[in-house]
Amino acid sequence: MAANDSSTGLEAVFLENRERLRRFLVARGAGEAAEDLLHEVWLKIAARDLGRSSGPVASPLSYLFRTADLLMIDRYRSARQAVRRERDWGVAQDGTLPGASDAPSAERHLIGREQTRLVAEALAALGPRVEAIFRRHRVDGVPQRQLAQEFGVSLSTLESDLRRAYAALAQLKEQWDEV
Amino acid sequence: MAREDAIREEAIAWAARTGDPGFEEWDAFTTWLEEDAAHAPAYDRVMATADDAAEALATVPQPGNDNAPAEDSADQSHPRRRFLGGAMAAALIGVAAVSVWQLRDPAYVVETAPGETQLVELEGGVQIALAGNTRLVLQRDDPRSASLERGQALFTVDHDPSAPYRLTVGEDTLVDVGTVFEVRRDAGAMSVAVSEGEVLFNAERQRVRVRPGQRLTSAAGSDHYVVAAIPLAEVGEWQEGRLTFRDATLEQVAGNLSAATGTSFTASPRAAARVVSGSLMLDSVEADPRTVGPLLGVSVRYQAGAWELGAL
Repeated sequence: MAANDSSTGLEAVFLENRERLRRFLVARGAGEAAEDLLHEVWLKIAARDLGRSSGPVASPLSYLFRTADLLMIDRYRSARQAVRRERDWGVAQDGTLPGASDAPSAERHLIGREQTRLVAEALAALGPRVEAIFRRHRVDGVPQRQLAQEFGVSLSTLESDLRRAYAALAQLKEQWDEV
Repeated sequence: MAREDAIREEAIAWAARTGDPGFEEWDAFTTWLEEDAAHAPAYDRVMATADDAAEALATVPQPGNDNAPAEDSADQSHPRRRFLGGAMAAALIGVAAVSVWQLRDPAYVVETAPGETQLVELEGGVQIALAGNTRLVLQRDDPRSASLERGQALFTVDHDPSAPYRLTVGEDTLVDVGTVFEVRRDAGAMSVAVSEGEVLFNAERQRVRVRPGQRLTSAAGSDHYVVAAIPLAEVGEWQEGRLTFRDATLEQVAGNLSAATGTSFTASPRAAARVVSGSLMLDSVEADPRTVGPLLGVSVRYQAGAWELGAL
């Protein structure tokens, strides 16, 4: 079974650290859903095992935590999406946005477009390196160590650039939500 | 409030690290989350906002990214290349990003204020750059048709003989099979200038082919038209902050300058029909509207909230 080492390793690590992962999910706000989410993490690593397309995991425990973390972020985003859809309907029917046509769809279209423009502007305002690092990391999914080499900066500078980008986006989000 | 800010700052610091596959300190992160019930929601907000932003950005090309299709690189002023870089790229819009909303009315409006420009990218290889004070009606279910209600826009349309692009400009119709062309509409007239390919003006009536380096102008309510030669570089030049007038009336000049700069210009009633020519950089006009005077050979004076252009 030597050929199957990496995935067997992942499953073994999962079983060994089941309680740690559960505690993490609870702390992450999963509440009573923690067990279900733990099961989802298990299914994801099992699917990964079947797929065999991915290489060995460098750090199995980190991989598991990360999978759990991403599940929580997805959950948060889809819950919020449902709320927002209702709210946007409200905005569209009020007809409060200037410059749009009478059609509700046109106004909502403008909202989405405006958001994209504001995001691009907020990042551009931080300077080309911060903007590029955010794009490479979050859009292209390039790991930080590689990015640090690519941009010729230390890991701590890279982290500080990302913090600036996240802070600017969080601020933009707050302004947007206040409208 | 200060406490919320502090939590957000901590959440941001964690987010900057956990987002990386190399992050190892999950136990320390768990401890932070357990310290305060407000920590997890704050972290969720930061991560979700970053994801939203990344998704929005993923729908638009990266500014300065030179993966543009290689094409006649000898022509530096090629309008299509301008879509891919520079200040306009920041305003580039991915219509695909709002697909959830595309269920209802197929018609929608894209509009710019005076002094504002905007770039719209549609499915089917259509890019439209709107100059200031412009209103364009688009069709969700047909990206290859549009109506210019007001103002000026530069169209870049991919070649597709089976799906000609149709633009309605008041009573006139332009049909095009893959070009770069600019259309302007104001109260009195419309004009179309082509920098690449060919545009067919009113296929049902005059049926005029407008070719690269030509501008066709037609007054509203008239079947009469004029075709004049223009330098290719003038098509879409406003994207580079320049405006060129050729035998334009002061009324047209005032209208175009107002749309491009967001500063109000008017033509003195007695000189409105006076014809001028010249080229202006919008930066300097915005900095000091009086610079229009010597460049076009007109008088400029501030009156009743607007800069009035008149005879010298």
